[in-house]
Amino acid sequence: MVYDRRPGADSPLMKKPEQRDLFPGALEMMILRTLKRQPLHGYALVQHIKRTSNDLLQIEEGSLYPALQRLLKEELVKAEWAVSSTNRRVRIYRLTAAGAKHLQREVSSFERMLEGITRVLTPGES
Amino acid sequence: MNWFKQLFSRRHLYDDLSREIQEHLEEKIEELVDSGIPRKEAAATARREFGNVTLMEEDSRAVWKWPSLESFLMDVRFGARTLRKSLAFTAVAVLTLALGIGANTAIFSLVNGILLVSLPYPKAEELVTVTGAYPQGALVAMREQMHTMDVAAYAEGHDFNLTGRGEALRLTGTLVSAELFSILGAQPELGRIFDRGEDIPGQDSYVILSHALWQQRFGGDATMIGRSIELEGISRQVIGVMPASFRFPSTKTQIWIPLHNDPRSVFHYWAGDFMPVIGRLRPDSTLEQARAEIRMFQSQARALFPWPMPASWNAGVSVVPLQNGMVADVRVRLLLLLAAVALVLLIACTNVANLTLSRAATREKEVAIRAAMGAGRQRILRQLLTESVLLASLGGLLGLVFATEGLSLLKALLPADTPRLMDVRIDWRVLAFAGGLAILTGLVVGLAPALHISRGALTESLKSAGRGAAVSVSQRLRGGLVVGEIALAVLLVIAAGLMIRSFWALSHVNPGFHSEHILTARITPNESYCGDATRCLAFYRNVLDQVQSFPGISGAAFVNTLPLGGRVSKRSLEVEDHVDPSGGTAPLFWLNIVTPGYFRVMGIPLLWGRGFSDADVSGTPVAVVTAETARRFWPNQSALGKHIRLLDDKSWRTIVGVISDVRAYDLQRNTPNWIQGTAYVPYNPTATLEDRRVPSEMTIAIRTASDASQIAALLREGVAALNHEVPVSEVKTMDAVVTEAVSAPASTTSLFVAFAALALLLGIIGIYGVLSFLVSQRTREIGVRIALGAQRADVLYLVMKEGARFSFAGIAVGLTGAFLVTRLMSSELYGVSHLDPLTYLGVALVMAAVTLLACYVPTRRAMRVDPIVALRYE
Repeated sequence: MVYDRRPGADSPLMKKPEQRDLFPGALEMMILRTLKRQPLHGYALVQHIKRTSNDLLQIEEGSLYPALQRLLKEELVKAEWAVSSTNRRVRIYRLTAAGAKHLQREVSSFERMLEGITRVLTPGES
Repeated sequence: MNWFKQLFSRRHLYDDLSREIQEHLEEKIEELVDSGIPRKEAAATARREFGNVTLMEEDSRAVWKWPSLESFLMDVRFGARTLRKSLAFTAVAVLTLALGIGANTAIFSLVNGILLVSLPYPKAEELVTVTGAYPQGALVAMREQMHTMDVAAYAEGHDFNLTGRGEALRLTGTLVSAELFSILGAQPELGRIFDRGEDIPGQDSYVILSHALWQQRFGGDATMIGRSIELEGISRQVIGVMPASFRFPSTKTQIWIPLHNDPRSVFHYWAGDFMPVIGRLRPDSTLEQARAEIRMFQSQARALFPWPMPASWNAGVSVVPLQNGMVADVRVRLLLLLAAVALVLLIACTNVANLTLSRAATREKEVAIRAAMGAGRQRILRQLLTESVLLASLGGLLGLVFATEGLSLLKALLPADTPRLMDVRIDWRVLAFAGGLAILTGLVVGLAPALHISRGALTESLKSAGRGAAVSVSQRLRGGLVVGEIALAVLLVIAAGLMIRSFWALSHVNPGFHSEHILTARITPNESYCGDATRCLAFYRNVLDQVQSFPGISGAAFVNTLPLGGRVSKRSLEVEDHVDPSGGTAPLFWLNIVTPGYFRVMGIPLLWGRGFSDADVSGTPVAVVTAETARRFWPNQSALGKHIRLLDDKSWRTIVGVISDVRAYDLQRNTPNWIQGTAYVPYNPTATLEDRRVPSEMTIAIRTASDASQIAALLREGVAALNHEVPVSEVKTMDAVVTEAVSAPASTTSLFVAFAALALLLGIIGIYGVLSFLVSQRTREIGVRIALGAQRADVLYLVMKEGARFSFAGIAVGLTGAFLVTRLMSSELYGVSHLDPLTYLGVALVMAAVTLLACYVPTRRAMRVDPIVALRYE
């Protein structure tokens, strides 16, 4: 789940409606993008996303798993058990061909949306 | 992944998921510990940053599910567990609902089978019936002139002697147009149906048998087709057997015989049977067109008759779907029953809703915890509703069992001549009805309590011991429910009370005769035998002589139409010096042809003059009329000495006596409204019926103190000894005849009474339950009051006041409701207004007494409250 953590916001335990995803599909898109670079297991995945976003996006780690299940179900990623470098049993997720295609589509549509929003937010440029 | 594989690999998926999440947490903890945080703190941090593990896992699993279905199944499982935990509640609720749903389903299956299911004929929607009645001549004209539909007529009530093999038998026959079967689209089980033109003299010596007759009398012999049987001394060829499922016009018909459309016998052709007409709309014709055409036909039809017809004849004729036409008589009665039984269900619902509300008090805490765990209001609502629907479904299943049992009971209870009763069965429509009703009931029962609980203030419930919060709201709701329940019960009991009063009035109508100790039987020589009037008369004379010799006989006489016997004997008469205001020459009378002593045997009081003596049979022509007839034709003067004459008879008859009125047609009316008077004449060769023949279908009435079955056996023997070709049929006591006449209102009344009793019982349980709950809620308060010196009487007053409030409010609402809606049943009431004050007052008093009594038990419990105990534990 991606949400802005405002100062004084309630504990993530209590779900409140305004703390829902910023927009649906964002987390999935980031997962796919990350996995495109290299296959990862859940923990590494979340750490990577946190790190790359410079902790601007606070991810409730658990929320990764429902998203991963959705991707698994749609066969955009696949998973298999392996042993990590730290000698842990981990489940490695990797992007499928369909996943790659889906990512491309999502990213380009996201970029179009972002461009549209940006244009509206910065008047006078066009 | 397809759903099939999903279903089986799911467990595997879930295991993977749990393990994965576990690994995640451990890895995180490991990392935190490595960075120097103590393990305990690290574990807490890891969990915090991960979020709600259970919820995440649930959300992840939900990805693989059909969420709505599975959460529904979960709700069902949970509901079942909850219901199992409180068995007493479940049993009472299920039983209550089962009674309600069962009764509704049983009555609905009647409505379904009789009013809704289409007739068992191909393209039944094209079948219609003409609302008028037409003699043969008019029918033939209609058959030629109508373009929008093909028509056929039938005449019930024609009985035939079957003689030849074995004992002579009286068969119930229906005369039909040759086209009747083909218009209905009916197929024979064996042989063929009538062909066009087979109702013309010379081509009509055929008969079609019913399945039952074919089996019983002819042993199901297939070689009967083509053979001849003797009916009324006339040989007719059997051409077909109809299947058991063919029951037109009613189950009673044993043989179908073609009409004998003979224009040469003018009287029979134009004034014989006035028959109902059915038709099948031709393709491209509509009901409206058929209506227009029949009105057009009607406007010309009167001119076809060889004599002037009154303008009122078939005025306002129309065409209606056959189904509506056939069941018009029972429609109102059935719908009333359905309404009554629906009220019972409503009361049952109210009761169960109330029970659920009582439980709600104890479940508030459970619900509050669920809400705290993150369940949304909708989710809780759905859970509670699932539970009540589950409850109602159990009730529905049990109700279906009740309905199956109840239906056979109902079929036995309803008058056998109820149209289409044989078609009534539990079919898919009834099942769907029961199912729908159960679900609806569940929602109705659950909604109020569920809304109420799920709204409950969370923290309040958690803090307090599951009580206190929102009690006043709950109390108001429960109060409202119980008031509604009592009101509905009052309404039903008033309806039942009116039915009872009406039935009482009907069964205490003075029928004008004494039915006790009278045995009746129809003794019917062939019509041809009575073609020779003297031979026929002598035969009946001999039967009477024989009967007189039986033991314990105090009198016996013959009559052509027994009162309440279901037959009408119409005859045009001339009344001396009487000019009919409507322009007709000869008013239509009900002509009773009797042997001397009839009035004495039947116990019909003679008001003025004398009855018939043996001398009247051959002496000067005489007649007797009823008081009503005398008043009508000779107002303010004596009818004695006045003259009437049977149409076409040579001599005038002198009226020698006036008897009191007899309920001959039914218990509400002496005669049908198209009959203008009632006359009695002695049985002799001049006493002819409409067809100018002496009657050959006479009924004997025997006044006897002896055992009826013994006399009946003697009678059969005696008649067979006189003439073995004469059947004795319809042997029954006059009491049974009267009972049959009230069988329809009797069955409706007993059903209403049963429903009202059920309603009353449920109402009592309802108010008892609410008051008990109230007392248990207020134990502490009552304890305090007693501790402070309140007397028992004060407590009594306190609690009874609450009960009385519900009771009186309910009664007031119920009375108002009855005042408004009982109008709907006024057509079913006899001798009592639907606003009968006695019934209303009586029911109000009874309800007040009964409900207050129901309040007394909890009140007594309240009076016994021990203040020490009450205060210590609360």
